[in-house]
Amino acid sequence: MRLTLDVNGTRREIEARTDEMLMDVLRRELGLLSVRETCGIGVCGACTVLVDGAPISGCLMLAAAAEGREVVTVEGLGGDDPVQRAFVEAHAFQCGYCTPGMILAAKGLLAEIQSPSEAEIRESLSGNLCRCGCYVKIADAVRRAAP
Amino acid sequence: MSDPRVTGAVRYAQDVELPDMLEARIVRSPYPHAGIARVDASALPDGVVVLLPDDVRGLGVYGPQIQDATVLALDVARYAGDPVAAVAARTAREAEQAASLIEIDYEELPAVFDPVEAAGDDAPRVHEIAEVSENEAAYFDLRPQPGTNVCHRFRVRQGDPEAAFEECDVVVEETYRTAGAQHVHMEPHASAARWDGDRLEVWTGTQTPYNLRSDLARIFLMDPERIRIVCPPMGGAFGAKTFVRLEGIAAALARKAGRPVKCVLERAEEWQTLNRHPSVIRVRLGAKADGTLVAARFRCWADTGAYADCGPGVAQKMGFAAAGPYRIPHVWVDADCVYTNLPPNGAFRGYGQMQSTWARELALDLLADRLGIDPVELRLKNVLHDGDRYCTGEEMHDCHYEACLRAAARAVDWDDARRGKGVALLLKGMQTPSRAEIAVEAEDDGTYTVRCATAEMGQGAWRTISLLAAEELGVDVGQIRYAVPDTDIGPYDTRTTSSRSTYVMARALREAVRDLRANGRRGHGMIEIPGGLDPDTGQGVASHHWHQGAAAAEVRVDEETGKVEVVRLHAAIYAGRVVNRPGAELQNEGSMIMGLGTALYEEIDVADGQVTNANLSDYEIPAFADMPERLTHDLIEREGADIHGLGETALPPVPAAIGNALASLRLHVTELPLAPEAVLCAVDVREGVRA
Repeated sequence: MRLTLDVNGTRREIEARTDEMLMDVLRRELGLLSVRETCGIGVCGACTVLVDGAPISGCLMLAAAAEGREVVTVEGLGGDDPVQRAFVEAHAFQCGYCTPGMILAAKGLLAEIQSPSEAEIRESLSGNLCRCGCYVKIADAVRRAAP
Repeated sequence: MSDPRVTGAVRYAQDVELPDMLEARIVRSPYPHAGIARVDASALPDGVVVLLPDDVRGLGVYGPQIQDATVLALDVARYAGDPVAAVAARTAREAEQAASLIEIDYEELPAVFDPVEAAGDDAPRVHEIAEVSENEAAYFDLRPQPGTNVCHRFRVRQGDPEAAFEECDVVVEETYRTAGAQHVHMEPHASAARWDGDRLEVWTGTQTPYNLRSDLARIFLMDPERIRIVCPPMGGAFGAKTFVRLEGIAAALARKAGRPVKCVLERAEEWQTLNRHPSVIRVRLGAKADGTLVAARFRCWADTGAYADCGPGVAQKMGFAAAGPYRIPHVWVDADCVYTNLPPNGAFRGYGQMQSTWARELALDLLADRLGIDPVELRLKNVLHDGDRYCTGEEMHDCHYEACLRAAARAVDWDDARRGKGVALLLKGMQTPSRAEIAVEAEDDGTYTVRCATAEMGQGAWRTISLLAAEELGVDVGQIRYAVPDTDIGPYDTRTTSSRSTYVMARALREAVRDLRANGRRGHGMIEIPGGLDPDTGQGVASHHWHQGAAAAEVRVDEETGKVEVVRLHAAIYAGRVVNRPGAELQNEGSMIMGLGTALYEEIDVADGQVTNANLSDYEIPAFADMPERLTHDLIEREGADIHGLGETALPPVPAAIGNALASLRLHVTELPLAPEAVLCAVDVREGVRA
């Protein structure tokens, strides 16, 4: 099936099977390798992307369900996004595998709550697992990114 | 320039793409122990490549310490998940579909899942023989016990504990257990292989490029020099990406296909690939009325699963570290590495030492309670100082255990109130003996390239070694380029394990830079660390230097539900000199958080040999919401001190500190994790409702 997606600000026509997940299509068809699989069942957040501004698990959303919607991955942030900068300043990563999903989840949180409390950060980012255990510095990064 | 980790630009082994590459899926035994009677792949469509037991029958038997593994199970599958066949196709999906068409007939065999039972004479045998490996990873004398499932027995014999217990005023005895655990590195195991004539190239997430090369040479009966291992950064490893994992299957498929093949594991397969050793540890500990420790006896069983992997090394470290950082004149240890029909267990951050620390540190608090002495005071009375001898006979230097313990106790306000609080101390060895080499090359543009085999798995080694190189060369770190490890180009290193890389590479670098200055373009440095232990007496040099740390915890227990909440957690570890401060802080915090998971929830559930929670919904790892209200740590430094590795130190004492915090509430739980059911049971025992 042919799909039209708006990915990182560009309209893209791509080929996908009807049962394919957004994560797989973004990786294979568009080479967006920041979208990564860990659990495959929507509990770890490594494949988080923004769809119409809201963080969702790319391993759970059918590619077809993203038709006509705005999809953002970290490749679309350019590298100088305030949240990306805050993650670098706070040293909020080790292996970096969960980092793209974590950054997008943090952007989703900051879009909803301008200055989240510690409890709100913990609650909101609990769907993004970091096995390296960078949580202390990730929370610091989110606070730095808050205006 | 932004960091590639925030732009998503890091390319891991799973992202490797080679021209004409096929993708592989593995067919695994559904039975924990079964004869393989018939394998029929005749229903497979054209265009897929299948690897069957007969294809690998002529290949070499391998294993880092015991040679007990083949690329696929040949006639017997030894655990539920043992690879029996593999398929490569254009996509993983096609390979999966084709794999489902392979028919295999099994004949079930009796199986064993408990290490103590498995060590007995009547247990079903997992392997008929245990042949010692020629891999350099078999760095100590191995003692397989013929006619049993014990593939290595390590012993410490110092003094005469049995006689000494008679002289003690108080003797405590208890049996402790720790559960199997999964590493849950976020990036799955991934390996790609390509043959070019009689040369093999492998791109893989590995911490052990040279051990891997050596075992692949054994498998494919070829000269190691004709094998190239390239190690992209890993999305986490924690010990799981060591020795041969998927590389043998990917390479055998690639040779048969005549095309490159990549194999990336599905998440559930991780629980069937490598886990942490479950353990059973019996402790007997005796002291004088004033708290002076006199004698200790440890009996350890490390469940290595169906293949030994580095289990013998795990048992050895569990054994030699069992006595902990204390002066104890009489110490005997027997540590068995035992085969069972469970998935293989291998290296896991701080291996062996979390298990024996759990047992010893809880037994110490039991002893403190019986003696009526404060647990911190009891430890301070016996803690190792410079010039003391350890149970291995080695004289201890550079001892900072007391400082670690005092810092940890202070962080939880130990002196104000002790209810709900616990401490634990750790002594942990570094891989000994070992050898590290590094090359530094001066480029025309004024920059320098550093080449060594140290792998990057998130621990920050590439950054740390670059900082050390910049310091040695007297240039800015921006002028250092760390080359991706490649065995065709970079020099030898034992492996990226046991928190050794920063320490050994710093020393090798010093020599490499001296050599560079003398020769102009290229400098080579090497450090060789001697040592080792007699496996029958445990005497010798266990560790060239020691990793030292303490943890303290404060808990809140809901006695209605059994839920344990860690309110405060602190680790104080000895760092000597910190090279990469943010990296060191992250490693310390990460170790503590992993220790928290071990303490509270992580456990591989097994029923009849089948792992029943092989997914991240049923197997929980710490999330943001699980963080203690306060999680703090110290990196203790000393002016002019040597670098100490610190990537693992803060993990092993954390479960014991939390266990002792429960014990301070008279809730005695001897088994990890501290599940609500076990805590409720301990409440009943305390209240006298249950024996």
